[in-house]
Amino acid sequence: MVELDYDIVIVGGGGAGLYAALWAAENTILKVAVMTKVYPTRSHTGAAEGGINAVLTHSVGDSPEAHAYDTVKGSDFLADQDAVDIMCKMGAAVIYDIAHRGVPFSRRPDGRIAQRPFGGASFPRTCYAADKTGFYILQTLYEQCLKNNVTFLNEWFLLSIIHNGERVEGLTAWDIRNGGVHLIRTKAVILATGGHARVYWNRTSNALGNTGDGTAAALRAGLSLKDMEFIQFHPTGLAKTGILVTEGARGEGGYLRNKDGERFMKRYAPEKMELAPRDIVARAIQTEIDEGRGCGPNGDYICLDLTHLGEEKINERLPQTREHAILYEGVDPVKEPIPIAPTAHYSMGGIDTDRLGRTPIKGLYAAGECACISVHGANRLGGNSLLDVLVYGRLTALEAVKYADEAPETNPSMAKAKDDEKRILELMEADGKEKLADLRRELGNVMMKHFGVFREEKSMKEGLEKLMEIKERARHVKVYDTSKKFNTDLITALEFLNLVDLAPAIAVPAIERKESRGAHARKDYPKRDDKNFLKHSVVKLKEDGNYELSWKPVTITKFPPEERKY
Amino acid sequence: METAVLQVFRYDPEKDQTPYYKEYEVPVEGTLLNALLYIKDNLDPTLAFRAFCRSEVCGSCSMRVNGKTKLACKTPMKELVETWKGKPLRIDPLNHLKVIKDLVVDIDKPIEKMKTLIPWLVPDPRVVPTDPMHESIIYPEEMEAYKDQIHCMLCFSCYSACEAVEDNDRYRGPFAFSKAYRFQVDRRDIETAKEKRIRYAISGGLWSCVQCQKCLYVCPKGVKPAEDIQNLRGQAVKKGFTDKPGAKKLKHFVDWIYATGQINRLYLPEEVYGNREAREKLTKAYTEMGVEVWEVPKPTKGLMKFRDIYLEILSKEDKALDLDFSHVRKIDRMVSEIFKADICTIIDRAHEEGRSSRGLISKLKGLLGGK
Repeated sequence: MVELDYDIVIVGGGGAGLYAALWAAENTILKVAVMTKVYPTRSHTGAAEGGINAVLTHSVGDSPEAHAYDTVKGSDFLADQDAVDIMCKMGAAVIYDIAHRGVPFSRRPDGRIAQRPFGGASFPRTCYAADKTGFYILQTLYEQCLKNNVTFLNEWFLLSIIHNGERVEGLTAWDIRNGGVHLIRTKAVILATGGHARVYWNRTSNALGNTGDGTAAALRAGLSLKDMEFIQFHPTGLAKTGILVTEGARGEGGYLRNKDGERFMKRYAPEKMELAPRDIVARAIQTEIDEGRGCGPNGDYICLDLTHLGEEKINERLPQTREHAILYEGVDPVKEPIPIAPTAHYSMGGIDTDRLGRTPIKGLYAAGECACISVHGANRLGGNSLLDVLVYGRLTALEAVKYADEAPETNPSMAKAKDDEKRILELMEADGKEKLADLRRELGNVMMKHFGVFREEKSMKEGLEKLMEIKERARHVKVYDTSKKFNTDLITALEFLNLVDLAPAIAVPAIERKESRGAHARKDYPKRDDKNFLKHSVVKLKEDGNYELSWKPVTITKFPPEERKY
Repeated sequence: METAVLQVFRYDPEKDQTPYYKEYEVPVEGTLLNALLYIKDNLDPTLAFRAFCRSEVCGSCSMRVNGKTKLACKTPMKELVETWKGKPLRIDPLNHLKVIKDLVVDIDKPIEKMKTLIPWLVPDPRVVPTDPMHESIIYPEEMEAYKDQIHCMLCFSCYSACEAVEDNDRYRGPFAFSKAYRFQVDRRDIETAKEKRIRYAISGGLWSCVQCQKCLYVCPKGVKPAEDIQNLRGQAVKKGFTDKPGAKKLKHFVDWIYATGQINRLYLPEEVYGNREAREKLTKAYTEMGVEVWEVPKPTKGLMKFRDIYLEILSKEDKALDLDFSHVRKIDRMVSEIFKADICTIIDRAHEEGRSSRGLISKLKGLLGGK
């Protein structure tokens, strides 16, 4: 076992982690390291396509207030408005900062950053770089981290967070490349580990590794998770694989059609049509499919029609969309509509933090998709996640620098590391009565069936029972690969166990939130109920393995709740 | 269901003395990545490979199929089966990189190599505002210059296929030069950084590339490293970094072809490698073998016309500055001395005599498409 010493450890090398690392590196001489289970440029930020919302100095007529209002309305009034205010006001600053560092944003003829319309936005404020915005941001941030000589612990897997109930003391992690559990002493930790939409294993736009590792470690370390019931289903996932088709496809003028060729969005959001927020479009698509108006032999998908945009525009604005449709669906969008259906996409919920990304444990921060600040409330707007990632990557970095600068050295015990070693050994010695791949598929099916686009009490209660059963059965999953070096069998198992821990944390508040709000759509409670549920759900894992639910007020400053119409 | 057999490279340094291949029967469905995931889920959980996004943006799953570098998530199984009719599909890790386990290779080395080429923007404060709330203006046209290079996702496919990496361990790798070149053509990048990048590129093997073009063919994202390397070489020459043999060779070719219509085999060793005896030895050897040898090729009919065409071509490619006119004038003086007349008179005479050099005519024909 190796013991490592840092002042700040950032877990995760995606947009939030790298931007945090960059701002930390440029603002302190403290020892900062980024620990990531994949090489940074593999992170899922790279798959963000459509763009990043911000009101720029040349956005005439738009304002950060309008952006904040759209965000709050999009969130179905569950977002904390003080946090939304911070995020929207910082928009231009982070855009210009990353543009100055080299992100090749698409430009208007006059040389200024171009912006396009996006779902739920009252103004075209989504800055983009073709349809690979996240990819370019991730690459550029990585370049800048190399420039600043940031220390990377590449291919290290987070196991546990160590704290003394008051402040964070360190981490334990598995060195994937060489094997072995290690103890990392550090004064501050920024969790930037991404989302957990992989709980919907069989139908998601997410990368294979979006398994909520940081969120699960936080849950096990006694921290609270907030608003976990809210999972965004992206309306347009490729029918066969769930791989994402960017919202930009609709932003550029794409139509959604059912089997009769009807642009059915006119019945759901007559004004915004295809550019209504994601939750509304996803429900509309699911309803069309459920009511027998889906396309194809099984009626299980809807058509996204781009043919009228013409080859030139598709190639210029949506090149990756075209490539993916051809490669993964066998359809050329220039010639025929793309078969799509909703796909699990984004976790609005996550580690409970305040408006600056701080958790109740001193020195422990969360940023990006693993955090619930909350700026997205019950439904995130397209283009707001990259913004969230950058704004909070930067803010938590500055908070962590401030804290670690003055905080005394920590002295974590070896107990956690020893526990983790034991846990891993047990996995290799398990009886193997359950097969990982099968159980994981089952988990995905339960989540999709009982906690999908539409939900209701009876089905969810059944679902929760099944989830607890899967959690029990997961003890019998065996890791067959016993070697230390690059044991991907072990990593897959650890990732699966994280999902298994997180799934009930989604189910419990989903059952108790007896209303429909944003992405949480209940057939038995189809209306929003501000009187009883204008509040955040908070879940904790008790020592006895039970998930304890409580509630917490929403911060409302400027925008009182109103009916949400598009 | 249609199936295919994959012969997968296996090597666990903790357990295996030597690598071996293991066969797996997989469904011909979806991509090669789907097939590998199928193996891991259903046949053999111990197989190690990297994969993440499954939609060709993260660059994790590059590997070789029957020797050809492929991105697993971008390679349909159907296509593989059709291409390699009947033959088994042998799956190997990337070439030129140390194997950690099975299909997983150590990519730290190429990343370290890339770092030496300053693959990041060093903003010129005259172009990029230091005020964080001030936008820097970039016109869509200027982004054309690096529209391909920015697609590099560090999958190291080109590194695996590269002939120069094979020969020279210090060679930085095709992708690294493309990453560097992307900033060489960015107006926002400061001149001093551009100068440094060229220097580092030269010590990183810029002239070692043999232009085999393999990088260009294997890149899953349409980056063209071989072209970027040529352009970097051009920049190196333009910036006066002409002391490497590669740069000298380029200079020799460009200048002599312009001046006389052909390269000079007698002067090449001296001008490129500084070998002063070669000219004498070669002249002697050629004469002994009865081969006619000219110290300077005789200027021919149409030479001035040819020079115009050549210059026009170079200008179109934005390479006109590669021509060193002082060198050309020196060659002209050599010609004048040998033929005891100025270059124009010699050419006029050639026209009168109606004689022409076959070499030059064929060169011209090549350039003009045979007319």
